[in-house]
Amino acid sequence: MTAALETRDLSVRFGGLKAVDGISVTVEDGRVLGVIGPNGAGKSTFINLITGQIRPTRGKVLVAGRDLTGAKPWKIAAARVARTFQINKPFRGLSVRDNVAIGAMFGAPGGGSVAKARGVADEVLERLGLSGVAELGPTELSVAHAQRLEVAKALALRPRVLFLDEAMAGLRPAEMEPQLELIRELRREGLAIVVVEHVMRAIRSVCDTVLVMQEGRELLTGPPDEVLADERVITAYLGQRYAERQRAERAEAGGSGPAVADQVGPRPEGETRAPG
Amino acid sequence: MAATSARPGMPESESESAHPELGAPTTGPPKAAPAGRTTASQLAGWALVLGLLVICLLAPKLFIPSFLRTLSAVFMFATLAQAWNIIGGFTGYPSFGNVVFFGLGGYTIAVLMARSHWSFWPALVVAVVLGAAYAMLIGIPTLRLKGHYFAIATLGVAEGTREIVLNVPKVTGGGAGITVPAVGPSATTSYPGNTGFLYYFLALLVVAMLAVYAIARSRFGFALRAINQDEDAAAAAGINTTRMKIAAFMVSGAITAAAGSIYAFQQVSIYPDRLFSVDITVLMVIMAVIGGSGTVIGPLVGGVGLQFLSEYLRQNFTDYHTFIFGAIIIVAVVLLPEGAVRFASETVRQRRLPIMDNLRRYRL
Repeated sequence: MTAALETRDLSVRFGGLKAVDGISVTVEDGRVLGVIGPNGAGKSTFINLITGQIRPTRGKVLVAGRDLTGAKPWKIAAARVARTFQINKPFRGLSVRDNVAIGAMFGAPGGGSVAKARGVADEVLERLGLSGVAELGPTELSVAHAQRLEVAKALALRPRVLFLDEAMAGLRPAEMEPQLELIRELRREGLAIVVVEHVMRAIRSVCDTVLVMQEGRELLTGPPDEVLADERVITAYLGQRYAERQRAERAEAGGSGPAVADQVGPRPEGETRAPG
Repeated sequence: MAATSARPGMPESESESAHPELGAPTTGPPKAAPAGRTTASQLAGWALVLGLLVICLLAPKLFIPSFLRTLSAVFMFATLAQAWNIIGGFTGYPSFGNVVFFGLGGYTIAVLMARSHWSFWPALVVAVVLGAAYAMLIGIPTLRLKGHYFAIATLGVAEGTREIVLNVPKVTGGGAGITVPAVGPSATTSYPGNTGFLYYFLALLVVAMLAVYAIARSRFGFALRAINQDEDAAAAAGINTTRMKIAAFMVSGAITAAAGSIYAFQQVSIYPDRLFSVDITVLMVIMAVIGGSGTVIGPLVGGVGLQFLSEYLRQNFTDYHTFIFGAIIIVAVVLLPEGAVRFASETVRQRRLPIMDNLRRYRL
């Protein structure tokens, strides 16, 4: 079976800096890949390389087996690969409905008329519970709604591969749950999803596999529980000193549970973000 | 640890009530009412346009010749502002070299009519095609730049093109200019006179208005506005931003070239310094911005308003007219940064005159 998304040895250099260095991943239909790592690890650049915002200097991007390495963003969108941006990028002059309609107009294969695209937009807004704010401008939305609008804009492209770049950022715990449920629902529908996230609870609850990046390279890849318990990940995230202290504390307590999960994961009252 | 404000004690109900969309179905059809309102105001708008059009068509019977010339200039500048609006207003690429298409159009018909003995209409078609082609040619490299970089690049292209025209006297007549055969046996097309040019410019303005009206409602228009707001997001939404930007520049260039063609025929004798004058670009930009760039009606309002104002000042304040005109433009830009049309719609929406809002906002 051909994977929905595959990268082989994907790399980019900015001058002397290897921003992304030899990342190879495979995401099947109906699977969620989480990408974590400290700030500056190259997570967003990795997405930008796949969705065409930046051209890779080495490696390959395959979408459903088709080589789309270095293709322009609109070609990638036409191959039904959609993304959100870490910093929300709404079209300010347009209503929420038209923001979503743009994706349906141009992203969907064959395109659609303005009226048809607005129809698609209404369906997407309905599904995401944004029908009530369809007529508003994107600047009038709450943080939670603005985050949902980004997802809605991506879904209007009817994607088979979806990238969510920090779609949980700034959300309160109660606001995160519907967003997570949406990801699970899309996964059940067969989308291949890549989430870049600092919120460990989100990573644990939706990902099948987690890729940890550090300084552009792959630190390790594996199931969420395993990865989040790994010493190297804790060190990468929390720093050497903190990791040692934690190890000492754990030894004292005699426990051997998953450390990052303990640190930032399953506390019911909320998420904890990685050190910024 | 940079923990975000996790509030353990927060009651579940509060977060739910803040986001009714998560549970309760949204009720009511909110689309019918605004759509109805738009139709009514649109109807009024079109009635106004139609009324003005009738007056314009009757103008030769109503007004003296000098006023007809003024009216021609008004229509021409409204057209130029509208053409600039496509690339500068909708797409957000502030071209400071749009006069290059004006000059190119003018010189195309002048050279074809004077040297090759073409008549005006086929020469006009060639001028329009050349305007679009030149926009593509210079658009491919310059539209990779943004903001003031694009502005400066287009300004440079316009100045450079003027120099080229100046330096091929065998074709263009160089600095001495070129004269379109307008009267006598060498005339290929009989000179249309004040009334004729009034109608030519009016027809072109109508074409420009309808073109922008159609663009604003089309997929093309949505693509341009998306590019204006955020080019990365537009590309990620599947918009071929390169192609759309170049297309917008080509439409703008074609309309501007047509205006330049009619102007050259009207003036009979043309010179590079006049047809490629930066002043014309500046006027296009100011008219579009003060009227309301990125709107359909704005450039018409700005073009008509400012050209009449400039004409009035020239006749009544011979010594100071440019000074007064400049002062008025500065005041207008400070008070109406979004343009007259958006200001008017804000006034209607808020039921008050928000004339000082911009001063307060930026504490000027």
